[in-house]
Amino acid sequence: MHIVVCIKQIVDPEIPSADFKVDFKAKRAVQDQGEPVLNPYDDNAIEVALQLKDRDKDIKVTALTVGGETSQKVLRRALAMGCDEAIWLKDPSFETLDSAGTAAVIARGIRQAGVADLILCGRQAGDWDMGQVGALLAEELRIACIPLAYNVEKKGDTLLVKRETDNGMAVLEVGIPVLLNITNSSSNLPRYPSVKGVLMAGRKQIPTFSARDLSIDSEISNLIVVEELTLPSYDRHVVFMEGEDGPEKAVNLAAHLIKMNLLK
Amino acid sequence: MPGILVYASIFCDAVSMPTREMLGMARTIAAKTGEPVSAALLGSGISSLTQSLVEAGADSVYVCDNDKLGEFHANVYLKVLADIAATVNPRIIIFPGETAAMELAPRLAHRLKGGLVTDCIGFEARDDAVVFTKPVYGSKALARMRIASPTALVTVRPRTQEPFGPDAARKGAVVNVQAAIDDVRPETLTVERVEEEVVECTLEAANVVVSGGRGMKDAESFQQLRELAALLNGAVGATRVAVDQGMVPPSCQIGLTGKIVAPEVYFAVGISGASQHIAGMSGSKYIVAINSDPDAPIFSISNVGVVDDYRNVLPTLIEELRKALAK
Repeated sequence: MHIVVCIKQIVDPEIPSADFKVDFKAKRAVQDQGEPVLNPYDDNAIEVALQLKDRDKDIKVTALTVGGETSQKVLRRALAMGCDEAIWLKDPSFETLDSAGTAAVIARGIRQAGVADLILCGRQAGDWDMGQVGALLAEELRIACIPLAYNVEKKGDTLLVKRETDNGMAVLEVGIPVLLNITNSSSNLPRYPSVKGVLMAGRKQIPTFSARDLSIDSEISNLIVVEELTLPSYDRHVVFMEGEDGPEKAVNLAAHLIKMNLLK
Repeated sequence: MPGILVYASIFCDAVSMPTREMLGMARTIAAKTGEPVSAALLGSGISSLTQSLVEAGADSVYVCDNDKLGEFHANVYLKVLADIAATVNPRIIIFPGETAAMELAPRLAHRLKGGLVTDCIGFEARDDAVVFTKPVYGSKALARMRIASPTALVTVRPRTQEPFGPDAARKGAVVNVQAAIDDVRPETLTVERVEEEVVECTLEAANVVVSGGRGMKDAESFQQLRELAALLNGAVGATRVAVDQGMVPPSCQIGLTGKIVAPEVYFAVGISGASQHIAGMSGSKYIVAINSDPDAPIFSISNVGVVDDYRNVLPTLIEELRKALAK
């Protein structure tokens, strides 16, 4: 079985709001604030793939990304975690693509990777929070798609997929090929790369594919136009409860909440 | 005549509240443009709901009532929805931002070659186009996005739009749609389904929410939060970190990729205030934060704060409130 995990490098989502900088002219985040990181849900997706590989050594896992010069780092990380191969779709024209364009490019990249039985994507990327490339990619490839998946087991020729539902979970049986959008769960906390993994990953050749390599002749036009990017403001002023110790502050808080008539 | 099509979702055998909100949004756009508002209603044994969609703002309802639509399968629903879209040929398609829309909206967008903006929280109906506002970068920024394709699709966050009516005097057309789905097989087979017991009240509907985050010690320490929530007839929530560490089930997660809540009072206990969490609770009317770190970002969006370890605060708080509320 061949698994392709689609991953993305993003501006560190842990940067606190107070420090977060926006490039208002380019209508995106300032790109060089902090170290860019692997999108957290993609980290979960890699983990789901590697758990399958842990149980069946015949499974091959390929990590794939679309991105500019710095995004090689997330591929190296994926290799260090235990992925077998990496594919880098890299072209200046890819850097401003919207979700639909990105899905179209990835679909061509996946065809380069050979037959893919299982495709994993993080449920959404922590930059634009669109959450649609996975489902668009499934449509591009004309395969089935399951959202909010967090765990996969092989069962003969099919897969048993655990997914979140509105009020619980469900186990679904699905044939391959299939695309899963992965969400976080206590069962797919990403592993750390081992020292050996890091060394091996550093030596690995990563093939790159340009627009031309993917036979994309004309520029892909975006369906979504970002007109403006702004910073939200919260109009609140906090009042701190005074007190010698915790219990005294608690007494004051209780009295305050009762006085405000907030609780029934 | 261009138009607006709203995907109608059903909750407890009735038109869902988010659907009413979407129809309210569609009516606001239509008030400016004069275009008709349609609703697409799919399911099994649901024909009786068409009039309530009309009363909630639809000018016409395209209903497909079919046994095969009894269980939700995205690819089967998609086929019907794509057929309805081909008939209506709308300029804008609005989905309530619920789980089903995560699959339906992008896949329909692909089939219609339309652009999709997800998790929209506001809009501006201009003469040339509708511009949608959406939180991005974990809600640290807001983007205004225009959709350049002839068909624009959008999923809209529940509880961000005002519902219309209902107006019992409204009249509308009902169009029965034949489902051309005989050769569309469901992509998945449901082997098992676990539904959590619905406790006293659901998170989204609760007037009081008591949430814990990274600062909570372990699963057991959530017991104090449950006690406080029970005392105030509220519900317990959590941050993504608390869910990842297995302290509470994923259904408790509040935030950008969890539930969005807007209670009368929100208690944030041991929560630093990552923007992804704030995205799910910043609409709360009154926010109480308890955190040992005086610089925690949560305080900047709170009404009242206590700087201390929650373990020093909660027992007395519960006791005092129990006395005051005479419970």
